[in-house]
Amino acid sequence: MIDITINGIPIKVEKGATILHAAQESNIDIPTLCNHEGLVPDGNCRICSVEIDDRGSKKIVASCMFPITRSISVETETGRVQRARNTVLQLLVNRNPKSPIIQQLCDKYGVIREERFALEPDLCIRCGRCVRACEANGTKAIELVDRGFDRHVAPPYELETDACIGCISCATVCPTGKITYEESPGKRTIWHKEFNVLQCKRCGIYFATKEMLDWAGREENDRDYCDHCQKYIESVKFITESQKK
Amino acid sequence: MRFDTLSDLKNYKNEILQKQDKRKEIWICGGPGCVANGSIILAEEFAKALDNKASSDVSTSFWHSIKVLIRPEENETEKLIRTGITGCMGPCENGPIVHVEPDGLYYQKVTVDDIEGILGSIKENIPYKAKAMSGHDGKPAEVPSAENIPFLAKQKKLVLGKMSTMSPLDLDDYIAHGGYSGLIKSLDSMTPEEVCNEIKASGLRGRGGGGFPTGVKWESCRNSASETRYVLVNGDEGDPGAFMDRALMEGDPYSVIEGLTIGAYAIGSSEGIIYVRHEYPLAVKRLANSIKNLEEAGLLGANILGTGFDFHVEICKGGGAFVCGESTALMTSIEGKPGVPRVKYIRSTEKGLWESPTVLNNVETWANVPHIITNGSEWFRSIGTENNSGTKVFALVGKVKNTGLVEVPMGTTLRQIIYDIGGGVAQNRPFKAVQTGGPSGGCLPASMLDTPVDFDSLTEAGSMMGSGGMIVMDDRTCMVDIARYFIDFLVGESCGKCVPCREGLKKMQMILHDLTSGKGREGDTKALEDLAEGISDTSLCALGQSAANPVLSTIKYFKEEYIEHEKEHFCRSGVCPGMFRVTIDEEKCKSCGLCSKNCPADTIEKLDNGKYRIKQDGCIKCGACFEVCPFSSVEIVKEVSKDD
Repeated sequence: MIDITINGIPIKVEKGATILHAAQESNIDIPTLCNHEGLVPDGNCRICSVEIDDRGSKKIVASCMFPITRSISVETETGRVQRARNTVLQLLVNRNPKSPIIQQLCDKYGVIREERFALEPDLCIRCGRCVRACEANGTKAIELVDRGFDRHVAPPYELETDACIGCISCATVCPTGKITYEESPGKRTIWHKEFNVLQCKRCGIYFATKEMLDWAGREENDRDYCDHCQKYIESVKFITESQKK
Repeated sequence: MRFDTLSDLKNYKNEILQKQDKRKEIWICGGPGCVANGSIILAEEFAKALDNKASSDVSTSFWHSIKVLIRPEENETEKLIRTGITGCMGPCENGPIVHVEPDGLYYQKVTVDDIEGILGSIKENIPYKAKAMSGHDGKPAEVPSAENIPFLAKQKKLVLGKMSTMSPLDLDDYIAHGGYSGLIKSLDSMTPEEVCNEIKASGLRGRGGGGFPTGVKWESCRNSASETRYVLVNGDEGDPGAFMDRALMEGDPYSVIEGLTIGAYAIGSSEGIIYVRHEYPLAVKRLANSIKNLEEAGLLGANILGTGFDFHVEICKGGGAFVCGESTALMTSIEGKPGVPRVKYIRSTEKGLWESPTVLNNVETWANVPHIITNGSEWFRSIGTENNSGTKVFALVGKVKNTGLVEVPMGTTLRQIIYDIGGGVAQNRPFKAVQTGGPSGGCLPASMLDTPVDFDSLTEAGSMMGSGGMIVMDDRTCMVDIARYFIDFLVGESCGKCVPCREGLKKMQMILHDLTSGKGREGDTKALEDLAEGISDTSLCALGQSAANPVLSTIKYFKEEYIEHEKEHFCRSGVCPGMFRVTIDEEKCKSCGLCSKNCPADTIEKLDNGKYRIKQDGCIKCGACFEVCPFSSVEIVKEVSKDD
């Protein structure tokens, strides 16, 4: 364990844990956008910037990725941190004014959109949570393409792709509401591609696309029930069989 | 020839050195500038003139015999002569350059018509006066050897030393010029640890711009707990106006690979990768040729020189993204992913390429290594200054009389480089600023000309060493416009991964475009400064962290120009369109009419009193009159406001 301080409060941290993790454990608030507990961190939004004093050298670091390997002191609300955070937020709200999460953060930290630098509103903040989620699934159907200001998320060549299984993990982890999909009974459309959604023969919900079950390696003759019902049926079968024995 | 043992190579080296007498060599500069000026054709014609049966393929050189007079006895002696193409010799402004060895004579602006004269002069053993290289006064030197030509005399050529006297393709040439002494010494009499310590003791610092002590980097990689370690060459030179690494990879590829091999031996690596941008096709070709030759010679591959040391080198071609020169982006690119930097809180020497400990050094850093090992760290420390030992190569470009590739000891002042070596500002215009360090560097004004060029002094002055681009600017350069140029460049080169660099540079660009197009607003300069601080603090990689330097340094030294752009919408340098007017001061006008003759818009009229006047309606503000007027009577003044 390593002894650190966050805003003067002494905290014991496991070696290698991130500053963000340590802060969250101690209920110290650090805003985040690109970070997601289920995904590998990427450190690209920079909103979680904090100031550290590491053996006398003070610097701003991304708390979501900075590993604690020795005793440091962390400050989350110095003037420098506030300026760093506000710079990032200001830039985001100029381009992403309609995103609820950005609006909330702006309200909290008192940042207002600058009309002079107002860019065409876009919901996407290029945090890449969707890309990392897709990669974690192993499907890798989308990627951040182009560079600089034009960087955006897309499937290969912006066309429908066989790699996409319609699992909507990307939309689920999207913090801004940029990634949307259309869903009607038995149909789902995402990333220009239409999927058939199978209906559970027991409870009637539409539970998965055929491609998702293919990807999971589920047998063709074993696709009648949703996860919940499948579990129910299995357990009933198990109980009946053990009673027989 | 294959060398299976250390003594094989040593013996061969001695053999080659003994053959060195009784030779004459005509070297034609193969640097990009000279090639553009026709040096390839020149080399082909030289080869034909020596032997009309000679192949016109100048990539290999052939020995021919020639009768040369040995003065003063005027006896004739039979000498071997050959001609070939070298790497960049440096004086790019005056190419094509021809260099005659062993006399060490330099000829400039040589054409096919000079071949007979040069060959004749070699036979006569006298200099060929007609194209003798000139000094800053433009007069040809009596004997055009390096010490008589200020551009060359004031330099200290260490890593560029071999480049004007050997073929970059020929391993024998490299060995004859001292090549592979460093590797022999390392393998023969030094432990890997000793090699590491020698580099550490030499004080060599990373020539890519960061200035991190190379030996410390090696040591930390050496001490890492891992079986696999990598050594990488960063050949992704991308600064506008910089061509030092290109020149080295094209002109002396063996030295880079020898340095890399020594490094691999020191840190315990058996795999090296040279990362070169594909826009440098010749560098790629030459490096590939060198690797092939070295593998055949047994100087790369398994069990090098019978010492049990294995080392393989591969080339990885980059797509040409500027950000791939950043260490983590370079490694991501080698791994086959998009070249985007990653957060680097753990050093590459612990976790680099494919998560293995990695040493990444710049081309020039690697090229220094064989010299340090051969001559010792003490010798290296005797060059340069206390904390900045050795030399540094610069690409001296812009509004300077003698553009080219120069190498000077660290601690040489900017003034010495620009005036003593470069000959001063082109057309004798007033000096305004010098930009060093590329897009991450900054602009320094005349008051900083005596700043010694080393890592620490340049950083302190608000610029940085960078990889060695040096752009000289005269009074017709608008500093706000220069900042705009660099930010435009960086907006195009930002990978877009992190918010401050992607969105922040865009915002900075919007302000700078407003300032340079007459739409600047009160407070813009302050807004730029604030934004710059925010971007520097929060960006993910070195590109973003240093991106604001061109803006910050120009504000620091040329604030008045920013204020004029912001408040008066006036560009004193006559660059930003619509923000100035050109007039002729009748008092100063001597009625010579040069302005009128040179005006492309034909809008300068002669008045009854003989003086000239610019008709503002037709003026396209090109500045031609401004440049030709010998009496400085053409002035750049504020645009008359429409409200007046």
